[in-house]
Amino acid sequence: MYKFSRNSTVGNFLGFAPTLILLISVLNEFDLNYINIKYFSFNFPYILIFYWTLKKNEGLGFGWVFISGIINDVILGMPLGISSLAYLLICGFARYLRNITLRSNLIKDWLFFSITILIVNSFIYLLLFLFFSLSLDYSYLLINLLFTILFYVLFASIFKFYLRNVMGNSDD
Amino acid sequence: MEASRDDFIIAIRSAFLKKGIQQRFSLIALICFSIAIIVLSNLNYTVIDNTRSSIKEIVYRVSFIASVPENYLKNSYKKIGNHFNYYEDYQDIQKILKKLKSEKISTYYIIAENKELKKIIDDYIINSEEIIAKVLLDKNSPYLKSIVLNKGSKDSVILGMAVLDQDYLVGKIIEVNYLTSRVLLLSDLNSKIPVVIQPENIQSILSGVGKVRGNIQYYKKTSDPQDSSFIYTSGSGGIFKSGIPVGSIEKNEENDEIKIRFFSDFSQLKFVRVVSFKKEEILLAEKKSKIKAEQAANIKAAQAAKIKAEKVAQIKAEKVAQIKAEKVAQIKAEEMIEENFKDENLFKEFSKKYTWKCKKTFFNKLHKVGTPEFKACIIKKGLQAKKKKKN
Repeated sequence: MYKFSRNSTVGNFLGFAPTLILLISVLNEFDLNYINIKYFSFNFPYILIFYWTLKKNEGLGFGWVFISGIINDVILGMPLGISSLAYLLICGFARYLRNITLRSNLIKDWLFFSITILIVNSFIYLLLFLFFSLSLDYSYLLINLLFTILFYVLFASIFKFYLRNVMGNSDD
Repeated sequence: MEASRDDFIIAIRSAFLKKGIQQRFSLIALICFSIAIIVLSNLNYTVIDNTRSSIKEIVYRVSFIASVPENYLKNSYKKIGNHFNYYEDYQDIQKILKKLKSEKISTYYIIAENKELKKIIDDYIINSEEIIAKVLLDKNSPYLKSIVLNKGSKDSVILGMAVLDQDYLVGKIIEVNYLTSRVLLLSDLNSKIPVVIQPENIQSILSGVGKVRGNIQYYKKTSDPQDSSFIYTSGSGGIFKSGIPVGSIEKNEENDEIKIRFFSDFSQLKFVRVVSFKKEEILLAEKKSKIKAEQAANIKAAQAAKIKAEKVAQIKAEKVAQIKAEKVAQIKAEEMIEENFKDENLFKEFSKKYTWKCKKTFFNKLHKVGTPEFKACIIKKGLQAKKKKKN
Protein backbone atom coordinates (compact mmCIF):
# COMPACT_ATOMS: atom_id res chain seq x y z
CA MET A 1 0.00 0.00 0.00
CA TYR A 2 1.18 3.51 -0.75
CA LYS A 3 2.44 5.39 2.24
CA PHE A 4 2.29 9.19 2.32
CA SER A 5 5.31 11.27 3.23
CA ARG A 6 4.91 12.85 6.68
CA ASN A 7 5.73 16.31 5.36
CA SER A 8 3.37 16.30 2.38
CA THR A 9 -0.03 18.03 2.47
CA VAL A 10 -1.86 14.71 2.34
CA GLY A 11 0.44 13.37 5.04
CA ASN A 12 -0.31 16.39 7.23
CA PHE A 13 -4.02 15.98 6.64
CA LEU A 14 -3.87 12.31 7.54
CA GLY A 15 -1.97 13.22 10.69
CA PHE A 16 -4.68 15.73 11.60
CA ALA A 17 -7.48 13.25 10.81
CA PRO A 18 -7.89 11.94 14.40
CA THR A 19 -8.38 15.50 15.67
CA LEU A 20 -10.87 16.16 12.89
CA ILE A 21 -12.79 12.97 13.64
CA LEU A 22 -12.82 13.88 17.33
CA LEU A 23 -14.23 17.34 16.60
CA ILE A 24 -16.86 15.98 14.22
CA SER A 25 -17.83 13.27 16.68
CA VAL A 26 -18.42 15.74 19.51
CA LEU A 27 -20.23 18.18 17.23
CA ASN A 28 -22.35 15.41 15.75
CA GLU A 29 -22.72 13.08 18.72
CA PHE A 30 -22.78 9.73 16.94
CA ASP A 31 -25.76 8.82 19.05
CA LEU A 32 -27.43 6.55 16.48
CA ASN A 33 -30.71 7.15 18.33
CA TYR A 34 -32.70 6.97 15.11
CA ILE A 35 -31.93 3.26 14.84
CA ASN A 36 -34.12 2.89 17.93
CA ILE A 37 -32.06 0.12 19.50
CA LYS A 38 -33.02 0.24 23.12
CA TYR A 39 -30.19 1.46 25.38
CA PHE A 40 -27.66 1.33 22.59
CA SER A 41 -25.08 4.11 22.85
CA PHE A 42 -21.35 4.36 23.23
CA ASN A 43 -18.81 7.06 23.84
CA PHE A 44 -16.67 7.26 20.72
CA PRO A 45 -14.47 10.21 21.87
CA TYR A 46 -13.26 8.16 24.86
CA ILE A 47 -12.01 5.39 22.56
CA LEU A 48 -10.40 7.78 20.11
CA ILE A 49 -8.67 9.90 22.75
CA PHE A 50 -7.37 6.90 24.69
CA TYR A 51 -6.08 5.06 21.62
CA TRP A 52 -4.33 8.00 19.98
CA THR A 53 -2.76 9.25 23.20
CA LEU A 54 -1.51 5.76 23.84
CA LYS A 55 -0.25 4.92 20.38
CA LYS A 56 0.55 8.21 18.69
CA ASN A 57 0.57 10.97 21.24
CA GLU A 58 1.70 13.67 18.78
CA GLY A 59 -1.31 12.91 16.53
CA LEU A 60 -3.82 14.41 18.95
CA GLY A 61 -3.10 17.79 20.56
CA PHE A 62 -4.23 18.23 24.16
CA GLY A 63 -5.50 21.69 23.26
CA TRP A 64 -7.87 20.15 20.72
CA VAL A 65 -8.94 17.53 23.26
CA PHE A 66 -9.76 20.34 25.67
CA ILE A 67 -11.75 22.28 23.02
CA SER A 68 -13.68 19.18 21.97
CA GLY A 69 -14.61 18.66 25.62
CA ILE A 70 -16.01 22.17 25.82
CA ILE A 71 -17.98 21.60 22.60
CA ASN A 72 -19.33 18.33 23.98
CA ASP A 73 -20.51 20.08 27.15
CA VAL A 74 -22.30 22.77 25.17
CA ILE A 75 -24.02 20.27 22.89
CA LEU A 76 -25.14 18.00 25.72
CA GLY A 77 -26.10 20.88 28.01
CA MET A 78 -23.71 19.88 30.77
CA PRO A 79 -21.76 22.29 32.98
CA LEU A 80 -18.85 23.71 30.96
CA GLY A 81 -15.50 22.02 31.55
CA ILE A 82 -16.79 18.62 32.73
CA SER A 83 -16.11 16.70 29.50
CA SER A 84 -12.78 18.49 29.03
CA LEU A 85 -11.73 17.27 32.45
CA ALA A 86 -12.85 13.72 31.63
CA TYR A 87 -11.04 13.70 28.27
CA LEU A 88 -7.84 15.13 29.73
CA LEU A 89 -7.87 12.61 32.57
CA ILE A 90 -8.19 9.83 29.98
CA CYS A 91 -5.20 11.36 28.18
CA GLY A 92 -3.28 11.28 31.46
CA PHE A 93 -4.10 7.65 32.11
CA ALA A 94 -3.17 6.70 28.54
CA ARG A 95 0.14 8.52 28.82
CA TYR A 96 0.83 6.77 32.09
CA LEU A 97 0.20 3.41 30.45
CA ARG A 98 2.48 4.41 27.59
CA ASN A 99 5.26 5.29 30.06
CA ILE A 100 5.09 2.00 31.93
CA THR A 101 4.67 -0.29 28.91
CA LEU A 102 7.53 -1.73 26.94
CA ARG A 103 5.64 -4.14 24.70
CA SER A 104 2.06 -3.17 24.01
CA ASN A 105 -0.69 -5.73 24.00
CA LEU A 106 -4.32 -5.19 22.93
CA ILE A 107 -5.77 -7.12 25.87
CA LYS A 108 -3.70 -5.15 28.39
CA ASP A 109 -4.65 -1.88 26.73
CA TRP A 110 -8.28 -2.92 26.71
CA LEU A 111 -8.24 -3.79 30.41
CA PHE A 112 -6.53 -0.54 31.26
CA PHE A 113 -9.02 1.38 29.11
CA SER A 114 -11.91 -0.27 30.98
CA ILE A 115 -10.43 0.69 34.35
CA THR A 116 -9.66 4.18 33.11
CA ILE A 117 -13.16 5.01 31.90
CA LEU A 118 -14.73 3.43 34.98
CA ILE A 119 -12.60 5.67 37.24
CA VAL A 120 -13.00 8.81 35.12
CA ASN A 121 -16.74 8.37 34.67
CA SER A 122 -17.28 7.64 38.36
CA PHE A 123 -15.40 10.83 39.16
CA ILE A 124 -17.45 12.83 36.64
CA TYR A 125 -20.78 11.38 37.85
CA LEU A 126 -19.76 12.19 41.39
CA LEU A 127 -19.00 15.78 40.37
CA LEU A 128 -22.31 16.09 38.53
CA PHE A 129 -24.26 14.60 41.41
CA LEU A 130 -22.56 16.41 44.30
CA PHE A 131 -21.92 19.84 42.83
CA PHE A 132 -24.57 20.20 40.14
CA SER A 133 -27.38 18.08 41.67
CA LEU A 134 -28.09 16.45 38.30
CA SER A 135 -30.20 13.32 38.40
CA LEU A 136 -28.63 10.66 36.21
CA ASP A 137 -29.95 7.42 34.81
CA TYR A 138 -27.22 5.11 36.06
CA SER A 139 -28.41 2.03 34.18
CA TYR A 140 -28.25 3.96 30.91
CA LEU A 141 -24.79 5.29 31.74
CA LEU A 142 -23.56 1.84 32.71
CA ILE A 143 -24.79 0.37 29.43
CA ASN A 144 -23.12 3.25 27.62
CA LEU A 145 -19.85 2.39 29.41
CA LEU A 146 -20.24 -1.28 28.62
CA PHE A 147 -20.72 -0.63 24.91
CA THR A 148 -17.78 1.78 24.95
CA ILE A 149 -15.57 -0.92 26.46
CA LEU A 150 -16.81 -3.49 23.95
CA PHE A 151 -16.33 -1.23 20.98
CA TYR A 152 -12.76 -0.40 21.99
CA VAL A 153 -11.44 -3.59 20.38
CA LEU A 154 -13.21 -2.87 17.10
CA PHE A 155 -12.06 0.73 16.87
CA ALA A 156 -8.55 -0.12 18.09
CA SER A 157 -8.24 -2.53 15.16
CA ILE A 158 -9.48 0.12 12.71
CA PHE A 159 -7.09 2.72 14.10
CA LYS A 160 -4.22 0.23 14.02
CA PHE A 161 -4.93 -0.49 10.40
CA TYR A 162 -5.00 3.25 9.70
CA LEU A 163 -1.72 3.84 11.54
CA ARG A 164 0.08 0.98 9.81
CA ASN A 165 -1.28 1.11 6.30
CA VAL A 166 -2.16 4.74 5.75
CA MET A 167 0.23 6.66 7.94
CA GLY A 168 3.01 4.10 7.65
CA ASN A 169 3.71 3.64 11.34
CA SER A 170 5.75 0.52 11.91
CA ASP A 171 6.62 1.04 15.57
CA ASP A 172 3.16 0.05 16.79
CA MET B 1 9.12 -1.89 46.84
CA GLU B 2 10.81 1.50 47.09
CA ALA B 3 11.93 1.31 43.47
CA SER B 4 8.47 0.42 42.14
CA ARG B 5 6.96 3.39 44.02
CA ASP B 6 9.59 5.64 42.47
CA ASP B 7 8.79 4.25 39.02
CA PHE B 8 5.10 4.93 39.57
CA ILE B 9 5.79 8.52 40.62
CA ILE B 10 8.13 9.08 37.68
CA ALA B 11 5.56 7.67 35.24
CA ILE B 12 2.75 9.78 36.70
CA ARG B 13 4.93 12.90 36.67
CA SER B 14 5.98 12.24 33.10
CA ALA B 15 2.35 11.64 32.05
CA PHE B 16 0.84 14.73 33.62
CA LEU B 17 3.58 17.31 34.05
CA LYS B 18 5.79 16.91 30.98
CA LYS B 19 4.73 18.24 27.63
CA GLY B 20 4.69 15.48 25.05
CA ILE B 21 6.31 15.59 21.63
CA GLN B 22 4.60 18.23 19.45
CA GLN B 23 2.29 19.19 22.34
CA ARG B 24 1.81 22.88 23.12
CA PHE B 25 0.23 22.48 26.52
CA SER B 26 1.01 20.24 29.45
CA LEU B 27 -1.82 18.04 30.67
CA ILE B 28 -1.82 19.36 34.20
CA ALA B 29 -2.18 22.97 32.99
CA LEU B 30 -5.21 22.06 30.88
CA ILE B 31 -6.74 20.02 33.71
CA CYS B 32 -6.36 23.02 36.02
CA PHE B 33 -7.89 25.22 33.33
CA SER B 34 -10.86 22.84 33.01
CA ILE B 35 -11.43 22.95 36.75
CA ALA B 36 -11.25 26.75 36.65
CA ILE B 37 -13.86 26.78 33.87
CA ILE B 38 -16.16 24.46 35.85
CA VAL B 39 -15.95 26.81 38.84
CA LEU B 40 -16.23 30.02 36.79
CA SER B 41 -19.17 28.81 34.70
CA ASN B 42 -21.21 28.54 37.88
CA LEU B 43 -20.66 32.14 38.86
CA ASN B 44 -23.27 34.64 37.77
CA TYR B 45 -21.24 37.56 36.50
CA THR B 46 -22.25 39.44 33.37
CA VAL B 47 -18.89 38.91 31.67
CA ILE B 48 -18.95 35.16 32.35
CA ASP B 49 -22.60 34.91 31.28
CA ASN B 50 -21.90 36.73 28.03
CA THR B 51 -18.82 34.61 27.28
CA ARG B 52 -20.70 31.39 28.06
CA SER B 53 -23.62 32.51 25.94
CA SER B 54 -21.33 33.43 23.01
CA ILE B 55 -19.54 30.05 23.17
CA LYS B 56 -22.89 28.29 23.14
CA GLU B 57 -24.19 30.34 20.21
CA ILE B 58 -21.10 29.51 18.13
CA VAL B 59 -21.08 25.81 19.04
CA TYR B 60 -24.81 25.38 18.33
CA ARG B 61 -24.46 26.91 14.88
CA VAL B 62 -21.34 24.92 14.01
CA SER B 63 -22.94 21.74 15.31
CA PHE B 64 -26.06 22.39 13.23
CA ILE B 65 -23.91 22.62 10.10
CA ALA B 66 -21.83 19.58 11.08
CA SER B 67 -25.03 17.57 11.68
CA VAL B 68 -26.36 18.14 8.15
CA PRO B 69 -24.97 14.88 6.68
CA GLU B 70 -26.08 12.85 9.71
CA ASN B 71 -29.55 14.42 9.59
CA TYR B 72 -29.78 13.61 5.90
CA LEU B 73 -28.96 9.97 6.64
CA LYS B 74 -31.41 9.96 9.52
CA ASN B 75 -34.23 11.35 7.37
CA SER B 76 -33.50 8.92 4.55
CA TYR B 77 -33.59 6.02 7.00
CA LYS B 78 -36.96 7.24 8.34
CA LYS B 79 -38.39 7.76 4.87
CA ILE B 80 -37.46 4.25 3.80
CA GLY B 81 -38.98 2.84 6.97
CA ASN B 82 -42.19 4.82 6.43
CA HIS B 83 -42.60 3.58 2.87
CA PHE B 84 -42.92 0.01 4.05
CA ASN B 85 -45.74 0.93 6.45
CA TYR B 86 -47.78 3.23 4.21
CA TYR B 87 -50.71 0.92 3.54
CA GLU B 88 -51.21 -0.18 7.15
CA ASP B 89 -50.89 3.40 8.36
CA TYR B 90 -53.47 4.53 5.82
CA GLN B 91 -56.00 1.97 7.05
CA ASP B 92 -55.47 3.02 10.67
CA ILE B 93 -55.72 6.69 9.84
CA GLN B 94 -59.03 6.18 8.04
CA LYS B 95 -60.53 4.53 11.09
CA ILE B 96 -59.26 7.24 13.42
CA LEU B 97 -60.48 9.99 11.11
CA LYS B 98 -64.03 8.64 11.12
CA LYS B 99 -64.05 8.52 14.88
CA LEU B 100 -62.56 12.00 15.24
CA LYS B 101 -65.06 13.54 12.85
CA SER B 102 -67.96 12.37 14.97
CA GLU B 103 -66.27 13.54 18.16
CA LYS B 104 -65.40 16.97 16.78
CA ILE B 105 -69.03 18.09 16.52
CA SER B 106 -69.75 17.57 20.19
CA THR B 107 -66.36 18.99 21.16
CA TYR B 108 -67.21 22.43 19.71
CA TYR B 109 -70.12 22.81 22.08
CA ILE B 110 -68.07 21.60 25.08
CA ILE B 111 -65.24 24.03 24.32
CA ALA B 112 -67.59 27.01 24.16
CA GLU B 113 -69.31 25.98 27.37
CA ASN B 114 -65.97 25.42 29.10
CA LYS B 115 -64.74 28.87 28.09
CA GLU B 116 -67.80 30.53 29.56
CA LEU B 117 -67.52 28.60 32.82
CA LYS B 118 -63.83 29.35 33.18
CA LYS B 119 -64.47 33.03 32.64
CA ILE B 120 -66.99 32.93 35.48
CA ILE B 121 -64.46 31.41 37.91
CA ASP B 122 -61.66 33.70 36.65
CA ASP B 123 -59.52 30.87 35.32
CA TYR B 124 -59.73 31.56 31.64
CA ILE B 125 -56.17 31.57 30.39
CA ILE B 126 -54.94 32.73 27.05
CA ASN B 127 -51.73 31.86 25.25
CA SER B 128 -49.33 34.75 24.84
CA GLU B 129 -47.98 35.57 21.42
CA GLU B 130 -46.51 32.28 20.28
CA ILE B 131 -43.06 31.90 18.82
CA ILE B 132 -42.45 29.27 16.18
CA ALA B 133 -38.95 27.86 16.58
CA LYS B 134 -36.90 25.38 14.60
CA VAL B 135 -35.10 22.56 16.39
CA LEU B 136 -31.38 23.06 15.80
CA LEU B 137 -30.05 20.11 17.76
CA ASP B 138 -31.72 17.08 19.31
CA LYS B 139 -28.84 15.06 20.62
CA ASN B 140 -29.81 12.07 22.68
CA SER B 141 -27.42 12.53 25.56
CA PRO B 142 -27.12 10.01 28.39
CA TYR B 143 -27.06 12.96 30.78
CA LEU B 144 -29.74 15.38 29.65
CA LYS B 145 -32.76 14.95 27.40
CA SER B 146 -32.96 18.32 25.73
CA ILE B 147 -33.23 20.10 22.39
CA VAL B 148 -31.78 23.38 21.17
CA LEU B 149 -34.05 25.91 19.42
CA ASN B 150 -33.09 28.66 17.00
CA LYS B 151 -34.92 31.38 18.95
CA GLY B 152 -33.51 33.22 21.95
CA SER B 153 -33.88 36.36 24.00
CA LYS B 154 -33.80 38.39 20.77
CA ASP B 155 -37.19 36.87 19.92
CA SER B 156 -38.57 37.40 23.45
CA VAL B 157 -38.03 33.83 24.61
CA ILE B 158 -37.82 33.73 28.41
CA LEU B 159 -37.01 31.06 30.97
CA GLY B 160 -39.88 28.76 31.91
CA MET B 161 -41.91 29.19 28.71
CA ALA B 162 -43.82 26.11 27.60
CA VAL B 163 -42.80 24.31 24.43
CA LEU B 164 -45.51 22.61 22.39
CA ASP B 165 -45.45 20.24 19.46
CA GLN B 166 -48.78 21.10 17.79
CA ASP B 167 -50.96 21.14 20.94
CA TYR B 168 -48.95 18.61 22.92
CA LEU B 169 -46.59 19.63 25.68
CA VAL B 170 -42.96 18.81 24.98
CA GLY B 171 -41.03 20.59 27.73
CA LYS B 172 -39.99 23.97 29.00
CA ILE B 173 -37.23 26.48 28.33
CA ILE B 174 -34.31 26.10 30.76
CA GLU B 175 -31.57 28.13 29.08
CA VAL B 176 -31.84 31.28 26.99
CA ASN B 177 -29.05 32.71 24.86
CA TYR B 178 -29.32 35.68 22.50
CA LEU B 179 -30.17 33.65 19.38
CA THR B 180 -30.77 30.15 20.77
CA SER B 181 -32.42 28.44 23.71
CA ARG B 182 -32.47 24.97 25.29
CA VAL B 183 -35.61 22.99 26.09
CA LEU B 184 -35.69 20.41 28.87
CA LEU B 185 -37.86 17.60 27.52
CA LEU B 186 -40.54 15.92 29.62
CA SER B 187 -38.62 12.65 29.33
CA ASP B 188 -35.61 14.02 31.23
CA LEU B 189 -34.93 12.78 34.75
CA ASN B 190 -34.93 16.33 36.07
CA SER B 191 -38.36 17.19 34.61
CA LYS B 192 -41.29 17.21 37.06
CA ILE B 193 -44.69 18.56 36.00
CA PRO B 194 -48.02 18.63 37.86
CA VAL B 195 -50.62 16.72 35.85
CA VAL B 196 -54.13 15.44 36.11
CA ILE B 197 -55.28 12.02 34.88
CA GLN B 198 -58.67 12.10 33.18
CA PRO B 199 -61.41 10.88 33.41
CA GLU B 200 -60.46 9.58 36.89
CA ASN B 201 -59.46 13.15 37.91
CA ILE B 202 -56.31 12.03 39.75
CA GLN B 203 -53.76 14.72 40.58
CA SER B 204 -50.18 13.59 40.15
CA ILE B 205 -46.64 14.57 39.17
CA LEU B 206 -45.30 13.51 35.80
CA SER B 207 -41.62 12.70 35.95
CA GLY B 208 -39.22 11.82 33.17
CA VAL B 209 -37.05 8.75 33.58
CA GLY B 210 -34.55 9.47 30.84
CA LYS B 211 -36.32 7.07 28.47
CA VAL B 212 -39.07 7.20 25.86
CA ARG B 213 -41.82 6.63 28.44
CA GLY B 214 -42.52 8.79 31.50
CA ASN B 215 -43.64 8.01 35.01
CA ILE B 216 -46.29 9.33 37.41
CA GLN B 217 -45.52 9.93 41.06
CA TYR B 218 -47.17 11.14 44.25
CA TYR B 219 -50.75 10.13 43.54
CA LYS B 220 -53.19 8.55 45.93
CA LYS B 221 -52.41 4.87 46.08
CA THR B 222 -56.10 4.14 46.55
CA SER B 223 -56.88 5.66 43.16
CA ASP B 224 -56.47 3.45 40.17
CA PRO B 225 -55.52 5.07 36.85
CA GLN B 226 -56.91 3.07 33.98
CA ASP B 227 -55.16 2.03 30.82
CA SER B 228 -55.40 4.64 28.00
CA SER B 229 -56.52 7.42 30.39
CA PHE B 230 -55.34 10.80 29.22
CA ILE B 231 -52.89 13.02 31.03
CA TYR B 232 -53.18 16.81 30.96
CA THR B 233 -51.31 19.52 32.79
CA SER B 234 -53.16 20.43 35.98
CA GLY B 235 -52.09 24.08 36.06
CA SER B 236 -50.85 23.79 39.67
CA GLY B 237 -47.77 25.87 40.28
CA GLY B 238 -48.86 28.37 37.66
CA ILE B 239 -46.16 27.56 35.11
CA PHE B 240 -48.43 25.94 32.55
CA LYS B 241 -52.14 26.42 32.05
CA SER B 242 -54.37 23.48 32.84
CA GLY B 243 -55.52 21.10 30.14
CA ILE B 244 -52.50 20.84 27.84
CA PRO B 245 -52.44 17.26 26.56
CA VAL B 246 -49.27 15.41 27.55
CA GLY B 247 -49.77 11.68 27.02
CA SER B 248 -51.73 8.62 27.94
CA ILE B 249 -51.41 5.85 30.51
CA GLU B 250 -49.92 2.57 29.44
CA LYS B 251 -50.66 -0.12 32.00
CA ASN B 252 -48.83 -3.40 32.05
CA GLU B 253 -51.55 -5.94 32.79
CA GLU B 254 -49.12 -8.48 34.19
CA ASN B 255 -47.53 -6.41 36.96
CA ASP B 256 -49.81 -3.32 36.98
CA GLU B 257 -46.81 -1.11 36.23
CA ILE B 258 -47.87 2.31 34.95
CA LYS B 259 -45.94 4.16 32.26
CA ILE B 260 -46.76 7.30 30.34
CA ARG B 261 -46.73 7.28 26.57
CA PHE B 262 -46.12 10.86 25.42
CA PHE B 263 -48.31 12.11 22.60
CA SER B 264 -45.35 13.74 20.93
CA ASP B 265 -42.35 11.80 19.65
CA PHE B 266 -39.41 13.75 21.05
CA SER B 267 -36.94 12.31 18.55
CA GLN B 268 -39.01 13.65 15.63
CA LEU B 269 -39.30 17.31 16.58
CA LYS B 270 -38.65 19.72 13.72
CA PHE B 271 -40.63 22.84 14.60
CA VAL B 272 -42.13 23.68 17.96
CA ARG B 273 -44.26 26.46 19.44
CA VAL B 274 -42.92 28.40 22.41
CA VAL B 275 -45.66 30.02 24.50
CA SER B 276 -46.36 31.47 27.90
CA PHE B 277 -49.79 31.56 29.51
CA LYS B 278 -51.63 34.43 31.10
CA LYS B 279 -55.06 35.03 32.54
CA GLU B 280 -57.37 37.03 30.30
CA GLU B 281 -57.75 39.82 32.89
CA ILE B 282 -54.01 40.12 33.32
CA LEU B 283 -53.66 40.25 29.59
CA LEU B 284 -56.31 42.96 29.36
CA ALA B 285 -54.67 44.89 32.20
CA GLU B 286 -51.35 44.58 30.41
CA LYS B 287 -52.91 45.84 27.20
CA LYS B 288 -54.52 48.75 29.06
CA SER B 289 -51.28 49.67 30.76
CA LYS B 290 -49.54 49.43 27.40
CA ILE B 291 -52.10 51.78 25.83
CA LYS B 292 -51.78 54.11 28.84
CA ALA B 293 -48.02 54.11 28.53
CA GLU B 294 -48.35 54.85 24.81
CA GLN B 295 -50.75 57.70 25.53
CA ALA B 296 -48.45 59.12 28.20
CA ALA B 297 -45.56 58.88 25.75
CA ASN B 298 -47.66 60.68 23.11
CA ILE B 299 -48.58 63.46 25.55
CA LYS B 300 -44.96 63.81 26.56
CA ALA B 301 -43.89 63.96 22.94
CA ALA B 302 -46.56 66.60 22.20
CA GLN B 303 -45.44 68.67 25.20
CA ALA B 304 -41.85 68.39 24.14
CA ALA B 305 -42.81 69.49 20.62
CA LYS B 306 -44.77 72.44 22.02
CA ILE B 307 -41.85 73.54 24.20
CA LYS B 308 -39.57 73.22 21.22
CA ALA B 309 -41.91 75.28 19.03
CA GLU B 310 -42.15 77.94 21.74
CA LYS B 311 -38.39 78.09 22.01
CA VAL B 312 -38.05 78.38 18.26
CA ALA B 313 -40.66 81.20 18.19
CA GLN B 314 -38.87 82.96 21.04
CA ILE B 315 -35.55 82.71 19.26
CA LYS B 316 -37.19 84.03 16.08
CA ALA B 317 -38.79 86.95 17.93
CA GLU B 318 -35.47 87.74 19.58
CA LYS B 319 -33.76 87.70 16.21
CA VAL B 320 -36.44 89.96 14.66
CA ALA B 321 -36.15 92.36 17.61
CA GLN B 322 -32.39 92.34 17.28
CA ILE B 323 -32.61 93.06 13.54
CA LYS B 324 -35.11 95.85 14.24
CA ALA B 325 -32.92 97.36 16.96
CA GLU B 326 -29.95 97.18 14.62
CA LYS B 327 -31.93 98.95 11.91
CA VAL B 328 -33.14 101.68 14.33
CA ALA B 329 -29.61 102.14 15.59
CA GLN B 330 -28.40 102.39 12.01
CA ILE B 331 -31.08 104.98 11.18
CA LYS B 332 -30.23 106.90 14.33
CA ALA B 333 -26.57 106.79 13.50
CA GLU B 334 -27.33 108.03 10.01
CA GLU B 335 -29.52 110.80 11.44
CA MET B 336 -26.81 111.74 13.88
CA ILE B 337 -24.28 111.84 11.09
CA GLU B 338 -26.68 113.98 9.11
CA GLU B 339 -27.32 116.25 12.11
CA ASN B 340 -23.62 116.47 12.77
CA PHE B 341 -23.13 117.40 9.18
CA LYS B 342 -25.83 120.10 9.51
CA ASP B 343 -24.37 121.33 12.81
CA GLU B 344 -20.98 121.50 11.25
CA ASN B 345 -22.32 123.71 8.43
CA LEU B 346 -24.21 125.95 10.86
CA PHE B 347 -21.16 126.16 13.11
CA LYS B 348 -19.05 127.19 10.16
CA GLU B 349 -21.67 129.78 9.18
CA PHE B 350 -22.07 131.36 12.65
CA SER B 351 -18.66 130.84 14.17
CA LYS B 352 -17.16 134.06 12.83
CA LYS B 353 -20.08 136.20 14.02
CA TYR B 354 -20.81 134.72 17.43
CA THR B 355 -17.51 133.38 18.70
CA TRP B 356 -17.12 136.33 21.02
CA LYS B 357 -20.56 135.68 22.51
CA CYS B 358 -19.67 132.13 23.57
CA LYS B 359 -15.90 132.24 24.08
CA LYS B 360 -14.59 131.97 27.62
CA THR B 361 -12.57 135.00 28.69
CA PHE B 362 -11.17 136.35 31.86
CA PHE B 363 -14.40 138.31 32.47
CA ASN B 364 -17.04 135.66 31.79
CA LYS B 365 -17.63 132.03 32.51
CA LEU B 366 -18.62 130.84 29.03
CA HIS B 367 -17.27 127.86 27.05
CA LYS B 368 -13.81 126.82 26.02
CA VAL B 369 -13.13 126.99 22.29
CA GLY B 370 -13.48 123.60 20.56
CA THR B 371 -15.74 121.96 23.14
CA PRO B 372 -19.20 120.63 22.12
CA GLU B 373 -20.80 123.15 24.48
CA PHE B 374 -19.00 125.95 22.65
CA LYS B 375 -20.26 124.53 19.32
CA ALA B 376 -23.83 124.27 20.62
CA CYS B 377 -23.71 127.79 22.01
CA ILE B 378 -22.62 129.26 18.65
CA ILE B 379 -25.32 127.36 16.73
CA LYS B 380 -27.94 128.45 19.30
CA LYS B 381 -26.97 132.09 19.07
CA GLY B 382 -26.89 131.97 15.28
CA LEU B 383 -30.33 130.35 15.05
CA GLN B 384 -31.81 132.87 17.56
CA ALA B 385 -30.45 135.69 15.47
CA LYS B 386 -31.94 134.13 12.32
CA LYS B 387 -35.33 133.84 14.02
CA LYS B 388 -35.20 137.44 15.11
CA LYS B 389 -34.38 138.54 11.61
CA LYS B 390 -37.30 136.63 10.20
CA ASN B 391 -39.69 138.15 12.71
